[in-house]
Amino acid sequence: MSRADSASFRGLRVSFQEELEALQANLQEESELVLRSLRGSLNALQQRDVELADEVIAFDDEVDERYLAIGQGIEQLLARQTPVAVDLRLVLAVLHINLGLERMADLCVTIAKLTKLTAELEHDATMVEAFEEMGSRAEEMTRVAMRSFAERDLAGAESLVDLDEMIDRANRRVVKHVLELGNDPELREWGLRMIIVSRCLERVGDHAVDIGEQTAYLVTGEFREFTDASRPDE
Amino acid sequence: MSVSAGRLRSDGPRGRWSGRAFYGFLLFSLVIGFSTLGALVLQVVLKGYKWVDLVLLFEPPSAEPLIAGAEPAILATIYLGVLLLLFTVPLGVGTAIYLEEYADRDRWYNRLLEVNIQNLAAVPSIVYGILGLAFLVRGIGLGRVLLAGAMILTLLVLPTVIIAAREAIRAVPDSIRQAAYALGATKWQVVWRQVLPAATPGIATGSILALSRGLGETAPLLLVGALTYVSFNPTILGEFTALPVQIYQWVARPQEEFRVLAASGIIVLLAILLTLNAFAIWLRNRYERRW
Amino acid sequence: MVTATSVTMADVSINLAEREQQLPPKEFREVVFDVNDLGVSYNGNQALQGVSLEIYRNFVTAFIGPSGCGKSTFIRCFNHLNALIPGAVVEGTILYHGEDLYGAHVDPVEVRKRIGMVFQKPNPFPKSIYDNVAFGPRVLGMTDGLDERVERALEQAALWDEVKDRLKASALSLSGGQQQRLCIARCLAVEPEVILMDEPASALDPIATTRIEDLMHDLKRDYTIVVVTHNMQQAARVADLTAFFSITRGAEGQRTGILVEYDATSKIFTQPFDKRTEDYVTGRFG
Repeated sequence: MSRADSASFRGLRVSFQEELEALQANLQEESELVLRSLRGSLNALQQRDVELADEVIAFDDEVDERYLAIGQGIEQLLARQTPVAVDLRLVLAVLHINLGLERMADLCVTIAKLTKLTAELEHDATMVEAFEEMGSRAEEMTRVAMRSFAERDLAGAESLVDLDEMIDRANRRVVKHVLELGNDPELREWGLRMIIVSRCLERVGDHAVDIGEQTAYLVTGEFREFTDASRPDE
Repeated sequence: MSVSAGRLRSDGPRGRWSGRAFYGFLLFSLVIGFSTLGALVLQVVLKGYKWVDLVLLFEPPSAEPLIAGAEPAILATIYLGVLLLLFTVPLGVGTAIYLEEYADRDRWYNRLLEVNIQNLAAVPSIVYGILGLAFLVRGIGLGRVLLAGAMILTLLVLPTVIIAAREAIRAVPDSIRQAAYALGATKWQVVWRQVLPAATPGIATGSILALSRGLGETAPLLLVGALTYVSFNPTILGEFTALPVQIYQWVARPQEEFRVLAASGIIVLLAILLTLNAFAIWLRNRYERRW
Repeated sequence: MVTATSVTMADVSINLAEREQQLPPKEFREVVFDVNDLGVSYNGNQALQGVSLEIYRNFVTAFIGPSGCGKSTFIRCFNHLNALIPGAVVEGTILYHGEDLYGAHVDPVEVRKRIGMVFQKPNPFPKSIYDNVAFGPRVLGMTDGLDERVERALEQAALWDEVKDRLKASALSLSGGQQQRLCIARCLAVEPEVILMDEPASALDPIATTRIEDLMHDLKRDYTIVVVTHNMQQAARVADLTAFFSITRGAEGQRTGILVEYDATSKIFTQPFDKRTEDYVTGRFG
């Protein structure tokens, strides 16, 4: 039984506005979990720590639990309160962000799994450092995105596009770098796997931008992408 | 595309003329009725107004027109009125409550009762007079007394009071009763505390109108023994006369002065009845419910 | 999948028993009414048939369904108001805290003292506000501390602040929403355990409706509330449990009301078990 159900069964007055607040609070908590997962996977990658990677993979269950609970909460809210106007946009935004956060956590799991896979292989230190930078940027973007959502800050949300630039550029450079890694088969294998890690980090950044777009939708009521996918590569 | 203004004008004089003719006919009927009535009343008033004085009101009748008054008749009419109210209101309202709130419409005796109330209202008043004579005056030996007259008048106006009370009770919306029942009231409590208080203005109006009808009746009173010549003030169990009767026997006298007296008596009677009716209308307007 | 015309009583009872309903967990529920195979007929016309469910204490239970499905008839069984309609026959049993509501020596007055009712169209008595609220206590002999009783009832109905300075004014001078709250106060004044509401807000504007719904939320702390509503969104907002009634047609085309589904409101409006329920709540009915 969902939290809302049991509360009302206990005879408490759970008003519509309180339910909305609770939903958003849950979402923020979920984002904290995702950030922990991200930091964990980045550290595991840096330190080639297999145990930490395992922890990150196990931790994903918690995120999933939260994801399902929020999903149920949204269903209840829509069915019972039929929200309109800003309330409706809020619920839809929460729905999207919930999805995005869950994907972000999944991406962290992928990074952790790849860390385990490549733990014994030769590696390139510069790339690993670059990943740390990308990862940190992704962390920052996630924080900015969630804060902008909480504060309904449109400018903050739109700033995410610029923040994402760095990750996108770094991601594109990774392929070039891997091609220059040389003929060592272990290194080459590591490099190929790291392309996926890079891609994961780039996707995390994209999801953060999506969260920003949801904030913009909530505030303006318009469905729009911040960037045009057909923009030519730099 | 705009509709041309010409289309809006009426097609022809047909409908309008028959409408106007009908309206004219209505006005005509109204005028005929009211002017006839007005002429009669005016004639009486002009004839008798000079003689409406303290003598008329406070002196007993006499063979001498100049000192003849109608005090016993007026008093008797007043007593009759009071007794009439005392008898008809409980009986009429009680019957109405029974029929509306308690009676099961499917029972034969209740349906019989309903049908007969309508019939009784249509019976000519002289029949009541004969009834009174046979059962009250002779049958139970009451004699030709005021009480008998009151009882007969009661029977005469009772159907009207019952009908008026039923209307008033029916006008109380059922939602009021349902709400009262839902709060735990018994049937009696619902009737006594909600239905009756709400129906009271209608009942009062109906009763007063019935009363004024009863006071104007002459035929039944004659048969029950309103004597033609009463020079003492009436008592309930004594012999009596009433204002309509007094007027009647004055008219029958040969002297012209008595005709004038009759006219003045009519004025007094009309005044009493009009006052009663005006009071009933005022009551109804004052307590008119908007549900 | 059963269709509306071919369902039998057996089908319905199997469906409900087979699956797990999302009723309040055992530790939270206390049965107030236990309805078993209830049927109501008026002069031989079966208006309602085969209804079985439980009403729990301190919850709001809603009855929804198309018009003519018998939900108003059903709710009036709980306070013997059907007895006022000549020719009404009630079969089956309703147990109120274990006692048969239609037992041989049951006094309707005692029943109505404990089970009050608010009607669709506000119906205040043509008396003062005070006398309206005081009517119930007066007829039931609860005349001690009448002033406090009236004040408490008006407070519980969220009307005290608006009328405390004009208790002697006519009840008919209040607005529609206020009149309905007055009717609720009138009902509360006799301290019932259960409050039945037959479409309490359907005659009111949206703001007045919201106030009544908020009131239901508050009142369920102390009372058990059963509400009939034709407004599904209202049931979704307000009720903890929802019972959906529908109409079956007999062999000669007679229409009889039946209980189709009874479950937690969240279940009814997200994943109803019966297709008929889903058709109704999604608006595809009829």
